[in-house]
Amino acid sequence: MQLEKPSALRRKEIYRYLACPENSPAADDLLDRCEADLLAAAQPRGVWRILPREQAPASLLLDEGDIARHLEGCSRLVLMAVTLGAEVERLLRRYSATDVALATAADAAASVLVDQMADLLEAHIRSQLAKEHWYMTGRYSPGYGNWPLPVQADLCRVLDTGRAIGLGVSASYLMAPRKSVTAALGVADHPVKGRLAGCGHCVLRDTCGYRKRGTTCADS
Amino acid sequence: MQIRDIFERKQYVFLDGGMGTMLQAAGLPLGERPELLAITRPELLTSIHAAYIEAGSDIVYANTFGASAKKLEGTGHTVEELVPAALECARRAAEPAGALVALDVGPLGELLEPAGTLRFEDAYEYFAQIMRACADKADVIVLETMTDLYEVKAALLAAKENSRLPVMVSMTFEANGRSFTGCTVESFAATAVGLGADAVGINCSLGPAEIYPMAKALCEAARPEVPVFVKPNAGLPRADGSGYDITPEEYCRQMQPYKQLGISMLGGCCGTTPEFIRLLKQSFGGEAPAVRSATPRSWLCTPVKPVEVNDVTVVGERINPTGKKRFQQALRDGDMDYILTQAVEQMNAGAKVLDVNVGLPGVDEPAMMEMAVKAIQSVVDLPLQLDSTKPEALERGLRVYNGKPIVNSVNGEQKVLDAILPLCKKYGAAVIGLTLDENGIPKKAEQRVEVARRIQQAALAAGIPNEDIYIDCLTLTASAQQEDVMETLRALKICKEELGVHTVLGVSNISFGLPCRPYLNTAFLTLAMMHGLDLPIINPNLEEMMAAVSAFRVLTNRDKQSTDYIARYAGRTAAPAASSAHVPQLGTAVEQGLKAEAAQAAREMLKNKQPLELVNEVLIPALDRVGAGFEKGTLFLPQLLQAAAAAQSAFEVVKDAIAQTGQAGPSRGKIVVATVKGDIHDIGKNIVKVILENYGYDVTDLGRDVPPEKVVETVRSTGAQLVGLSALMTTTLPSMAQTIEQLHTAGLPCKVMVGGAVLTPDYAKEIGADFYVKDAKASADVAKQVLGA
Repeated sequence: MQLEKPSALRRKEIYRYLACPENSPAADDLLDRCEADLLAAAQPRGVWRILPREQAPASLLLDEGDIARHLEGCSRLVLMAVTLGAEVERLLRRYSATDVALATAADAAASVLVDQMADLLEAHIRSQLAKEHWYMTGRYSPGYGNWPLPVQADLCRVLDTGRAIGLGVSASYLMAPRKSVTAALGVADHPVKGRLAGCGHCVLRDTCGYRKRGTTCADS
Repeated sequence: MQIRDIFERKQYVFLDGGMGTMLQAAGLPLGERPELLAITRPELLTSIHAAYIEAGSDIVYANTFGASAKKLEGTGHTVEELVPAALECARRAAEPAGALVALDVGPLGELLEPAGTLRFEDAYEYFAQIMRACADKADVIVLETMTDLYEVKAALLAAKENSRLPVMVSMTFEANGRSFTGCTVESFAATAVGLGADAVGINCSLGPAEIYPMAKALCEAARPEVPVFVKPNAGLPRADGSGYDITPEEYCRQMQPYKQLGISMLGGCCGTTPEFIRLLKQSFGGEAPAVRSATPRSWLCTPVKPVEVNDVTVVGERINPTGKKRFQQALRDGDMDYILTQAVEQMNAGAKVLDVNVGLPGVDEPAMMEMAVKAIQSVVDLPLQLDSTKPEALERGLRVYNGKPIVNSVNGEQKVLDAILPLCKKYGAAVIGLTLDENGIPKKAEQRVEVARRIQQAALAAGIPNEDIYIDCLTLTASAQQEDVMETLRALKICKEELGVHTVLGVSNISFGLPCRPYLNTAFLTLAMMHGLDLPIINPNLEEMMAAVSAFRVLTNRDKQSTDYIARYAGRTAAPAASSAHVPQLGTAVEQGLKAEAAQAAREMLKNKQPLELVNEVLIPALDRVGAGFEKGTLFLPQLLQAAAAAQSAFEVVKDAIAQTGQAGPSRGKIVVATVKGDIHDIGKNIVKVILENYGYDVTDLGRDVPPEKVVETVRSTGAQLVGLSALMTTTLPSMAQTIEQLHTAGLPCKVMVGGAVLTPDYAKEIGADFYVKDAKASADVAKQVLGA
């Protein structure tokens, strides 16, 4: 399904990606230069499906580690994928070839935009399920905690993302278009919150800027 | 039905409906690969094919949609095993009924470069393997549900080069009229027909009502002798994947308007069943397809930008080393960024097509042509004009070009025509013919027209349609051959009127050797357009030239209500005022991140300073001040990057100045940088590159997804003393380790620095890197340490 684009970028989060204070004039100058083009190039699309927990293919490795804890108590599962589409990638390549500052700002902005689109689809699914009195955890993506990145390929196969939204997975399990998000969410007949992995299992634990400042990415 | 009948367009040909739909109904589990059924449940496949044939299908698609080695990975089965098995299942149902069998080929499921990491050449090989496994055991090949024009090209070339079967091609478009990768219907038609598709169509994604406008566009864009087919879904898929929303009756009703379009083959895709085909057959069976309009249209295209040549179409001439020392240096250095900058600049200036000439003595032109085409089409949407006299260079460029290009050029010499026209035909390119031959450029217009006529006949005989033939009557310089200037224009007019071909001229040659060249150039351009010039090859960065085109289009009533003219010029003054505004000092401009000002200041400063002094005394100290501020936390990444970009633009001016003197550049040492194999995240690596270049290091950027061998080879050939490797994902760290290992095994005396989000100092040490760099600033510090400041 096509997802509705926002009228403006969520700058507050982009400043975080660019590691600069809020309303930094240099960042704003760059974002002003790329915002309209980026929003015009974006063709956000999403696909999702809901399935009983036991119908999930074993290759998704849902029964062990952090993802299993996240899905605890859930009898059903939502799988979802969102992408900004190929034209955004082309725009980012063009910026890359001509202006490194603009390219970096636009890359950060696109990351935030795809997250925003994932929020939108998640909210849509949540409202659908709420009507039938189902509850849902937050999103959990391949590569979070110790849920291995290679499940990306299986998750995308179940959703047939190539056909549904033009999203492919490379031999090293990277998504193309890059500005895409996939996730699993648990569904239960009682309120569930899911559990984030925590820093212990995060691949960034040794170099993470948030941890150095005594916070986590979930706090900010 | 015989296979030749299906392309005759005398009666409707009925294709089949959904296979996946039928398999799901038969209980195929989620995530299972349906291609394995050819071995596990062949009778199920045969029964589905038989049901479609019984309902009226003339052609059934074998269950080979995902039977590529790529998609079969991990199944324990091979292409060579599954393809013939699936064809056999279809044949068993088709033979008794006299129906035909199609080898069905779908996308590989992984995006091709540049969006993904799958190389065009590898995609070709995956498809070729399927074609070979088919061994012509089908009656026709169908490439379907394609969303990427580049993948269509790989598959179509693979089919044409590895099989004698006719090929039908259908792409999938979304409601906005474009495929997921942004491909338009017109670009698909121009490219697939050019590459020799025997029929073109649209399938999947949407229902008949939604596909209708696109099918109409396809019928209008494809040459009328090429059949058009459709296989829509049973309406729109529900977003949660639970099915499709229209009945067979409604589907058939929505298909009725297609009767006026001139499609000649039809069927269904996802959600459709034999019942849908039965109703289609009842409704369309007794009728003959409508005849499609025969107006030929001239297209050049990339996937996202079809350009119809029906008005003055500016070709940008800047990607050409002739007489440009800086460009020549860039070619010798393999510096693609310089070429890309030229491409983007011309696009922004309003060029509609870009000429690409990378021929230079001492440069491997065929390899460079391929590299340049791939690089340019990854950042610019404009169609390209491949400009070379070498057939090998043209073929390398044509093969990897994504879309329909134009070749510049052939001339009246028979051996040139024999060498190049077949390439244009094979790869579906338009062609420019120069009105000269072994005897040189004829003096009189009529003689040039004779050469043009010969070229036209040869092109038509080679199978190139008239709408793809462009003639260049050759601009001669007014200073040397003043009396011949009007002969060129007269010849152009005759070619246009009598031969019915398009015309091309390289315009600026007219003023060679005379002062104030723009005056002559614009006057000649205007005269030429008045004589019928379609493709002026000019420098689009010269506003007076673009203005002449804009003005001409207003005055000849082509730019209705002056819309384009107003869009371009509203709010601008006619003559740009001399830039007398205060230019800040170079150091200040860099620190404040002002690109244009930094370049301007550098230009001023070079009047009294040597290039190297400028770099050492001004640029680097300014960057150091910015770097120090970044480390202290008084300024942040966006400012650091803007300063880097400004310094880069100043550096570009310096390189230009150095290229003019012919001296060596201001190198402080050589560094190779790359994002490792499997990884396509290159923002970090790009920042590092720009910063290192600004510090005067000579950086070879190998790009992203770079195999270890290429890093080793480049370090060896350049003698680089420092290598920077980047990886973003945990899954690509092993390639980083392999690259370092191979560098060590090769015994190259270089140091290695590594960086990227998931790296840690410990892991860097573990894989044998000499330095872990946490950011771009740190990489410059390492470079200083290793190579000296």
